[in-house]
Amino acid sequence: MNDARKILDRMLSSGIKADLLVLFHKNPGLVDVADGVARRIGRTADTIEADLKDLVDLGILRMEQVGKLEVFLLDHAKDREVQSVIADHIKSLSPSKGV
Amino acid sequence: MTRVNTGIVELDKILNGGFMRGDTAMIAGGAGTGKTTFALQYLVNGIAEFGERGLYVTFEQLPDQIYRDAESFGWDLRKMENENKLMVMCTSPDVLLEPAGKDILGRFIDQIRPSRVVMDSLSHIAMFVPERELRREAYRLLMYLKTKRVTTIATYESSQTGAMSLSATETGLSFLVDCVILLRFVEIESSLRKALVITKMRGSGHDKRLREFEITSQGIKVAEPFTQYEGILTGAPRRSMAEAFTDAFKKQRRS
Repeated sequence: MNDARKILDRMLSSGIKADLLVLFHKNPGLVDVADGVARRIGRTADTIEADLKDLVDLGILRMEQVGKLEVFLLDHAKDREVQSVIADHIKSLSPSKGV
Repeated sequence: MTRVNTGIVELDKILNGGFMRGDTAMIAGGAGTGKTTFALQYLVNGIAEFGERGLYVTFEQLPDQIYRDAESFGWDLRKMENENKLMVMCTSPDVLLEPAGKDILGRFIDQIRPSRVVMDSLSHIAMFVPERELRREAYRLLMYLKTKRVTTIATYESSQTGAMSLSATETGLSFLVDCVILLRFVEIESSLRKALVITKMRGSGHDKRLREFEITSQGIKVAEPFTQYEGILTGAPRRSMAEAFTDAFKKQRRS
């Protein structure tokens, strides 16, 4: 299994992760604590914490310490990089079109 | 002192040319009175008419929802963001209430270098701090924005009850700002209309008359003062004496 495939599988390994990806892509200016992020997808902080951390681990989200709080935000550069890797992977999977 | 035009022609007239640069204005009103539309139009006009970049800070509404609502007025906020003329930041009040949270806000400000900022809304801060600390925390946040030399509109959701009251907030926040624009629903001849009045403007004269405004497909349109009615804010408006006399005179001539 190549790296792109692994990233893709990990990104889409749970419904919550998919919801988080949609949320941060549609709202690129979102900078919030886990509880704030969770509220915006109708969930609680404890149910999304593991998936949030996994997206941080993948590099799509960034976690920053703001005083006592941990905030999450989209890492625009890394996100573009991951998107391009996945797009290339998907392209390589699609059958070539004959003329 | 230079003025910052809102770009809403009649509003700029009653503000004697606009807000004073660097000031903080509060737009207070009940749900659905048009606070967010006013605030968005202030930023969009700043970008389109005056070449001034803007930052919109939202606590409750997601940017995606704001982009969609703005589209109904023909304002393409995503395009403005792509052109680095606008940023929509979405966060929880407790992030900005942390002393280090100002750094996050400061980072957005340094990135876009806005002349205009919207904080939507101060009422959400009230959900995160005890009432006795609200004024102090709101003051800290508004003063931080002043150090960045931006002209800010802060919205505040006030209660529509107590029709006689001209008080914008129940928590004394109006003392912290330089200008207060109050938006109200008013009932006139069995229909619900919208009215605005400037109740405060530090260091400047302003029109103190109550005006009707409408939310049209192009945004806010502020109309002439309500001259035909008196006691509009009491909830029981009546025709003004001059109007009543004119009506009576017309009826007399017809009979």
